[in-house]
Amino acid sequence: MKSTMKLLQTLLACCFALAIAIPADAQQKQKGKKGRAVLTIPEVEKKDIICFALYTVHGGTLKLTAQLYPLAEDDPKAVRLEIEKDGEWVEVGKVDAIDPGWTAPFRVENWDDSKEAKYRVRHGEEATYEGIIRKNPIDKEEIVVAGFTGNSIQPAHGGDISREDIIENVKKADVDVLFFSGDQVYDHHKHYAAWLKFGRDFGEIIKDRPTLCLPDDHDAGQPNLWGESGKISTLSGASDGGYSRPGEYVQEVERAQTSHFPDPVSPQTIGQGIGVWFTNLNWGNVDFAILEDRKFKTGPAGRVPKQGPRPDHILNPEYDPASVDVEGAVLLGDSQLDFLDSWAQDWTDANMKVALSATIFCGGAHIHGSANGRLHADMDSNGWPQTGRNKAVSALRKSFAFHFAGDQHLATIFQHGVDEHRDAIWSFCVPSIANLYLRWWQPIEPGANREDGAPDYTGDHLDGFDNKVTNFAAANPETNPAGNVLNTRSAGWGIIRLNTNTRDITMECWPRNVDITDPASEQYPGWPRTISQFDNYNPPSWGQLGELTFDVENPVVQLVDAESDEILYTVRAKGKSFTPGAPKGKTFVVKAGKDAPDTVVSEGAKVGSDPQSVSLN
Amino acid sequence: MPEKRDQLMLLCLRLGAFFCFTGWAWVHFYWEAPYGAILWQDDTYSLLGRFGISWEEFVGTGAGDGWVQKWSGRIGWLYLACAILTLTVRKKSRIQMAGLLGGSVLLIILSYAKFLKAQSQLPMFVEHGGQMLIPVLLVLALALGIRHRATVITAIVAFIATFAGHGCYAVGLWPTPSTFYAMTTVILDFDFQATKIFLLVAGILDFIICIGLFIPALRCASALYGFTWGLLTALARPVAGMSLSLNYWGADQFLHEAVLRAPHFLIPLYLFLLWKQPASAPATEANPDSPEAAIMS
Repeated sequence: MKSTMKLLQTLLACCFALAIAIPADAQQKQKGKKGRAVLTIPEVEKKDIICFALYTVHGGTLKLTAQLYPLAEDDPKAVRLEIEKDGEWVEVGKVDAIDPGWTAPFRVENWDDSKEAKYRVRHGEEATYEGIIRKNPIDKEEIVVAGFTGNSIQPAHGGDISREDIIENVKKADVDVLFFSGDQVYDHHKHYAAWLKFGRDFGEIIKDRPTLCLPDDHDAGQPNLWGESGKISTLSGASDGGYSRPGEYVQEVERAQTSHFPDPVSPQTIGQGIGVWFTNLNWGNVDFAILEDRKFKTGPAGRVPKQGPRPDHILNPEYDPASVDVEGAVLLGDSQLDFLDSWAQDWTDANMKVALSATIFCGGAHIHGSANGRLHADMDSNGWPQTGRNKAVSALRKSFAFHFAGDQHLATIFQHGVDEHRDAIWSFCVPSIANLYLRWWQPIEPGANREDGAPDYTGDHLDGFDNKVTNFAAANPETNPAGNVLNTRSAGWGIIRLNTNTRDITMECWPRNVDITDPASEQYPGWPRTISQFDNYNPPSWGQLGELTFDVENPVVQLVDAESDEILYTVRAKGKSFTPGAPKGKTFVVKAGKDAPDTVVSEGAKVGSDPQSVSLN
Repeated sequence: MPEKRDQLMLLCLRLGAFFCFTGWAWVHFYWEAPYGAILWQDDTYSLLGRFGISWEEFVGTGAGDGWVQKWSGRIGWLYLACAILTLTVRKKSRIQMAGLLGGSVLLIILSYAKFLKAQSQLPMFVEHGGQMLIPVLLVLALALGIRHRATVITAIVAFIATFAGHGCYAVGLWPTPSTFYAMTTVILDFDFQATKIFLLVAGILDFIICIGLFIPALRCASALYGFTWGLLTALARPVAGMSLSLNYWGADQFLHEAVLRAPHFLIPLYLFLLWKQPASAPATEANPDSPEAAIMS
């Protein structure tokens, strides 16, 4: 009895000792460890109060948002925008900085985008921040877009390493548009402080070129995001749908990151007063759709049968994919799909179309985390819900749009399929700037129809939701332990080169800290890859209608199903001839025009029909 | 009468421990216990490497489970066993008591994992004090007495840890968790400003009742408030999250969140019952030599 009592006392003492020692030890370790970045807002002099500025120009309107450090109570709130004209600075805008967030959003209409212009943002008498509003590069044959995602600043995996390599390379590549696909900020409580750091890191390249930043889950202060039109999420992990952080916080985030976007297509507020910013940017004869693939998406928790230890994770490979494609589950939502439908038909000042979104439209990884954790399907990806995914991909292929995205922490190239493999758009998911969470594309079965010598993981596959996907490249990290620096964790960034003349799209995927102009520098295996714009909707089962020869260069051609009146696609042809692809055994109406498909050129076109000359003058 | 009350007080601790272990057992079996933050570390791997365990054995091959996946699920059985022990343990059941203290160690490890997951925020560990200590409390109550100094002091420590930890978050000493705002807004339909004020007031009250435990005149009221607030905050999870439109009304997602927080209101209830004496009954009804009597004086 005595010994049992002694044991009890010992155990009791252990419990108390553990309860005190464990966190104390951890706190101590934390202090000495190179683990966590300290995120603070530095005190700056009045002359440096403007941190950075982002802008876009679209449809004759310049929108520029200046980001300020905190203003003191007695500081003037007014911020001015000036443009240099004939050697003189002319004020073109004046707004009060908005608190919280200290953003100053300017809007200048009747902007002449045919000329480059110097601008400066001013606050008080001392603070000045200068940059260049580029001219619209419509005379440039190749439009270069740099894509980034996952801007972790944590030292544990190289997040504290300078971004100078990126800055230098962006300048060398003379990038026309910067695209930050999401997770510019990982801190879930201090977006403002982190955003200022982002500005200090990237402001030097952002100030001189149009920049698009899509606020993703971490930017909004949560690990995953199924926005459900602004619902409030109360479940840890947020898979019940909605926003975890208060609406005011999300509004501040979106004001900082998106208020310089072209005007929203559907100006409205959703739940909690959160705005809607999906829109398009026409720049250099490329029409970019800027999508919100998180904001309207349904949360899976409680909607789909549980298939794993998390509501959004499916571990059971035997599950029925159709069981999670539940009725009513939304991905892009009707208003965004309507926008895509009209965007696909509008080829004004556009030779090519590119869709930008946070993540890709499939489950693009098998192994998740810093371990060999195989996940059959992840509902955070846009592979779910399948019906919504198919609607999105179908809408995008109607304009032969190329898809550029991020979020996955793993660079990949996929061609998507809806009814058959390879019948829809191509997507390039860029690697993380610094990768805090590892993923691998590692299917158990080798892919079908692989290219000669291509790795087993490439080729035709079904993702975890049974979506048809074809992989062409994956920048898998090294196997575990993956190391703690940038490139062993497949960190990097991407470039797409859009040749508006040849209509070629070249994807480049660069590791960090290489000189991209050095011929000795190598990209991740699988890159570069060049495809044609027309590969984005070229189903293997299709045939070809008769060749159309026009009397004008680059007309817009539209193919309509004669029976159902459904528009199959609209595209700007390359040169004076175009051979439309089409499903076999059906009849089509072909329309064409210089800038819009306003002339019916054929009403009974079929696969194998005769060539035709068309006059559009 | 005092005997009945003592039984009721013991029942509070027994149920508190039972529900806490049951709730966490549910998490282990049905959802995912938060051990990832401990396990997915190079330090852990290095330690295992010294014992000759390979990386693949530890984390799985990708096609099959490793130690991590297998053992995370198996720990749930330990929680279930502890839940049963809370019902069967009696004054003389020394081995069962040892088992419950082992359960407390499990809860400490789990709280440590949550603490790491929360980026080593101290209040995250501290606010689990009630859960970590409830098995200890039950053992103390059985082994030493429901009114023994050690039992009462441990209950007070558990109470303070729970409410001070919560208060640190609510007043914003550490970043207020998103769920605090979300639950308040959903349940009370407050706007952001009102929610901020509400949480600030609630957080201040968390600290006040911790101090109130040491002020004889406020002791009962503090314990009663602790019981009410602990119950409401536990229930807030299912109330805010459950919906008729969800599978099982969302009960599988949210109900255990209230269940495992049972110590948050049952420990205060225990203290309330301890201190709430009938007007005619003097404090000396308790063992006059007991430190509890000293605390009450």
